[in-house]
Amino acid sequence: MKNHLNHNCYPLVDRSLDSYIAIILSLYSPLKLNTKVNISQFLGHVYAVAELLPPHKYAINLCENRYLFMVSFCALLIKNQINLLPPNKKLMTQQWLIEKYKDVYVLDDSKLGESINFTSVSESEASGKESKQFVVNILKADFVNAEKIKNIPNIPLNQLAAIAFTSGSTGESKPNEKTWQTIVESSQNNALNMLGNRNELMYQLATVPPQHMWGLETSVLLPLFTSICVADVKPLFPQDIYDALYALPSPRMLVSSPIHLRAIMKLNILSPYEAPIKVALTLCATSPLSKDLAKDIEILFSSTLREIYGCSEIGSMAVRETSKEDVWQLFEGVDFSYQKNNMIMARTQYLPQKIEIFDDVKLIDENHFILKGRSSDMIDVAGKRGSLQEINNVLLGFPELVDGVIFIPKNNSKVERLVALVVLPDSIEVAILKNYLKKYLDDAFVPRVILKTNSLPRQENGKLPLAEIKNIYKDLLKIKFQ
Amino acid sequence: MQSPAELKMAELLVEALNLEDIEAKDIDPEELLFGDGLGLDSIDALEIALAISQEYGVQVKAEDESTRDAFSTLRSLSAYIESNKSS
Repeated sequence: MKNHLNHNCYPLVDRSLDSYIAIILSLYSPLKLNTKVNISQFLGHVYAVAELLPPHKYAINLCENRYLFMVSFCALLIKNQINLLPPNKKLMTQQWLIEKYKDVYVLDDSKLGESINFTSVSESEASGKESKQFVVNILKADFVNAEKIKNIPNIPLNQLAAIAFTSGSTGESKPNEKTWQTIVESSQNNALNMLGNRNELMYQLATVPPQHMWGLETSVLLPLFTSICVADVKPLFPQDIYDALYALPSPRMLVSSPIHLRAIMKLNILSPYEAPIKVALTLCATSPLSKDLAKDIEILFSSTLREIYGCSEIGSMAVRETSKEDVWQLFEGVDFSYQKNNMIMARTQYLPQKIEIFDDVKLIDENHFILKGRSSDMIDVAGKRGSLQEINNVLLGFPELVDGVIFIPKNNSKVERLVALVVLPDSIEVAILKNYLKKYLDDAFVPRVILKTNSLPRQENGKLPLAEIKNIYKDLLKIKFQ
Repeated sequence: MQSPAELKMAELLVEALNLEDIEAKDIDPEELLFGDGLGLDSIDALEIALAISQEYGVQVKAEDESTRDAFSTLRSLSAYIESNKSS
């Protein structure tokens, strides 16, 4: 840790004024394509956006473009306002945040059209309720003519910088408060543990959203403290990811998830990429990565791939080179210890409280562990983690439901989607239930398939044996496709 | 009514996304694929892109202006593929 922390403040950026922090690859940026932005220009943009900000305590930062998100994040910091980082862009979520925090407005860059909006803000939801929130579009700032700033502002260490929300299964996702001190110390620790001793400038492409912990830590916060120049795009399709990597100078760094990496490999098998690309370092997190996929990516990109293990409360905590090892190495500065009931608690110097680890973890020694499995209740759908029990409680809250269960069918190698078996009165269409679930559940957890059945095999204690549910599900599918 | 090309695309969607409770012929070609309507999300978009690449040899890229419109309905997606496939 650096000794600046002895004072009560720490600089907004810990880099030289002429070093590059971002590169523009988005066609829709207010800045010219392929330009690199240095710290001095970046600070100019931060102050230009800060001038736009109304005097409120909180802002929901919805900016899509990674660079504009980073600028907004920092503009809020210098105005002593708090970034609210929602788990999704649904209006319901925004309304929930506004009710919870009151003095709130929304920061947006929506005219950018930087990516196709595949998230499902439902039309009826948007038009049904008159939206009262106050939206500030940061594109009103003059990015092109912003002044270059030579003085790096200092931020008080005890200032609450952001509240990140877990991608919980229901609307009531859990807030994780991050002070500037937590951000500074965890980012310095991440740099050390993720990047090792690399000091040269790396050009980073991230496929994950900046609002979520994994994207926030790696693509927004790391560049404030270490030599990373981040691309402003968030490519989804494998060809876009490949093209964006190709457009970056060397040495390159890729921050991604197993879903995106799998798509990159799959497209390479279907139609091999023409030019080889070297990626110095690939970081992957959010859901378990297979050893084979890790190996394939390392070969495709002549890369070292490090898989990161983390949780929303703390952030990144452990690393392994998945192609070569099964054992996870805890980050320096993170400790795991057994508590009573064999529970594992995690502790870091940058968070006051201990955090319970819900996964099935076996400690080997004080720095290493094996991840034996995810907690049986915690499920992972498309990189989002949620509690199966909470999701089922939402289903059971549907007024007309006679009985029902949501489960993971585990029937193929594709991204797992949830399935629901329900007993409903004849007069109630499945579509009505689906709309109800969409209102209360994150999109990822809305069952993809909902099948009606006459009854469920509940035991006397009320439990439903998974094997029997799966059999009913298989039988229903057979009937349907006879 | 679905055209033969739209039916083929609908079958590809059902297969690629495991839409086990929907029959391909029942997908309304004008219904929105994302958000309301079928309620697909970005992970589905990724699966569709891979399936399209496999079936039609068309690489989907989001930076193309045309792709944004193509992904709105079964009809627009089918038309996009018909005009972009090589054969």
